[in-house]
Amino acid sequence: MSAFLALVVKDVRQLLRDPKTMLMVLLMPIIVMALFVAGYGGGGGEVPIAVVDLDGGKISWQLIDFLRNVGDFRVDYFASTPEKGEMLVKKGKVYATLIIPEGFSEDVLLGRKTRVELIIDSSYAHISELIWEALNAAVQEFQRKVSEKYNTFSITVNKRTVYGPQVTRVENFVPVVMGILLHLVPMSLIAVSISRERERRTFEQLIVTPINSSDIIMSKLLAYALITISDMVVTLWVSVELFNVRVKGSFLDLLIVSSIMLLCSLSLGLLISVVSKNQLQAYQTAIFLFIPSMLFTGFLTPVELLSGEVRLISKLLPLYYFLRTFRNIQLRGWTLYETIYEVEVLAFQTIFFLLLSIKLLKLRVE
Amino acid sequence: MIYAVEATKLTKYFGSFKAVDSIDLKVRKGEIFGLLGPNGAGKTTTIRMILGLLKPSAGTVKVFGVDVAKNRKEVLKITGYMPQRFSLYEDLTTEENLRLFASLYGLKGRDLDERVGELLDEFQLREYRYRLAGKLSGGTKQRLALAVALVHKPRLLIVDEPTAGVDPPIRRYFWEYFRKLRQEGVTILVTTHYMDEAENCDRLALMNRGKIVAHGTPQGIKRLAYGGDIVELYTERRALLYLKSFDGVKTILNKDVKDGVLRVKVLVDDASDRLVPIVKNLEEKGVKVLRANQVFVSLEDAFIKLTVGD
Ligand SMILES: Nc1ncnc2c1ncn2[C@@H]1O[C@H](COP(=O)(O)OP(=O)(O)O)[C@@H](O)[C@H]1O
Ligand SMILES: [Mg+2]
Repeated sequence: MSAFLALVVKDVRQLLRDPKTMLMVLLMPIIVMALFVAGYGGGGGEVPIAVVDLDGGKISWQLIDFLRNVGDFRVDYFASTPEKGEMLVKKGKVYATLIIPEGFSEDVLLGRKTRVELIIDSSYAHISELIWEALNAAVQEFQRKVSEKYNTFSITVNKRTVYGPQVTRVENFVPVVMGILLHLVPMSLIAVSISRERERRTFEQLIVTPINSSDIIMSKLLAYALITISDMVVTLWVSVELFNVRVKGSFLDLLIVSSIMLLCSLSLGLLISVVSKNQLQAYQTAIFLFIPSMLFTGFLTPVELLSGEVRLISKLLPLYYFLRTFRNIQLRGWTLYETIYEVEVLAFQTIFFLLLSIKLLKLRVE
Repeated sequence: MIYAVEATKLTKYFGSFKAVDSIDLKVRKGEIFGLLGPNGAGKTTTIRMILGLLKPSAGTVKVFGVDVAKNRKEVLKITGYMPQRFSLYEDLTTEENLRLFASLYGLKGRDLDERVGELLDEFQLREYRYRLAGKLSGGTKQRLALAVALVHKPRLLIVDEPTAGVDPPIRRYFWEYFRKLRQEGVTILVTTHYMDEAENCDRLALMNRGKIVAHGTPQGIKRLAYGGDIVELYTERRALLYLKSFDGVKTILNKDVKDGVLRVKVLVDDASDRLVPIVKNLEEKGVKVLRANQVFVSLEDAFIKLTVGD
């Protein structure tokens, strides 16, 4: 066995024999499932919306029917006035209300320009953006179909945003869970790995053998990845199979970006490990780094609502890129190729953290 | 001449504290070299600099002619190290530790299996092979640590206080083992703060407060401390008339007379050369010598004498 593989085997063994690590690794999927049960708002994969049909004509009914059949939306309420429709959004009953104005059918039949209005809940920027895109697409599709039968006409969609209460929905929830699972947990686990060897003095015996600092860094990366990757797969599987989380894109793509994120978190954790004086400091640094990740990457608050300076910080944090890619694939159905920029940034950050760790890890006991 | 270890003007500061102060060390090939000194003298720091574990503040180290600062890996390949405190993986078994370090030193396949088997037998570790290292007794831990240090058959073995806090039988075992290794051509650099143990070394360096206060053979160091060997004679008073004029006699240290017998301690340059001629010369002059012997001086006494006023 090569020195590198021997080190991987050694680290895996040590992790498997460490009760604290194993408790964390085994408990994680269970905690995640509990979070799902607690956070699961029901309602399946369709986005609930309300409709205010001021027109009441034939074409407006066709539009509503069309939207119902697209599969993305579920019309939960019909409101009689735009004000009532807006209240439904503000109360969080629906994500959006579509207002079809008076004279809509007439406009269409006469081939005139017309419009509809959409009131969107922007508490979740990514969801409102998706609804906006999906509704626009649906309306354009509707327009194309109907134009074949009647005269050519055009519909514009006017958007108005309001803030509703932050309704927990399982789609929102998955990236958050994955963020904790793929960022905080692996980062803090591996962050103490080198200080622990220093504190137990095993580092001194280890580095009098003719190995390189890259052997140490890369073997730890691989060992910790092997131990933590099962949690990631289990969690994704649980989300999709047991909680019917819709993944519009490919599941394989999600696995790939999640794996890259895992490696990136481990690399950042290793960097912390290399520069920390002791285990306590390493833990604190890992948790301290997770706070801006939680606040500034769209984890809790949409990045779009943050100020300019804070958004600059966001763009330094791996979790920001991961959450974007993840949502692009999960909610928008993009392929890996379509969201390749974020994937590249993540991969670049991973390599950067690794090279820096290798460079900074001194094979000395000072 | 290429030395096994050659340190020149080696210095280490921790902040403004000088833990090792410009020391020179020359360890010859194939000898047991002892670095002797009380706790805090700077022995561990010196050893760590020799292994490249600490960066010297000044000075250089060569191991078998190879500069540690420039080519540390080459040095590590031919050097085994047993640290002062147990530093193996306590959550790995005896055998897992041995196999891990064998792999790290580049052993593979059959060679690795064979070497690990040899060491398990050599150090009586076979019955503990599946036991976690953390669960071994003190003596067994020490044997395992030595086995790991020797896993790649190093030319130089560096051992930091192998006998500190262990039972006398294990101390004896270690020194016997070092002599056996020396016979196989291994050079051994060992530190200790037990002065009595240091008598086992071929040559010594006495260290105190970061400085080397003396070096040489155990006997050489004692001579240095006293300015020569001490010889004790039980003889007649008349001996005093002649003693000072004999070759090699430096001075008379003390004398007393009891029941008409003179007991005198004489400092000579070399007891093994001078003792017999002194007795012969006295008897030629008709002075009866009842008893003559070299006085045993402990290294501890020598050390105290050498460090007084430091
Ligand atoms: N990493 C360190 N930082 C600061 N002081 C140290 C460090 N290592 C050792 N020392 C100090 O250097 C001196 C020599 O220590 P050491 O080499 O361990 O002595 P010895 O091995 O002879 O007992 C001691 O006073 C010790 O406190
Ligand atoms: Mg020491």
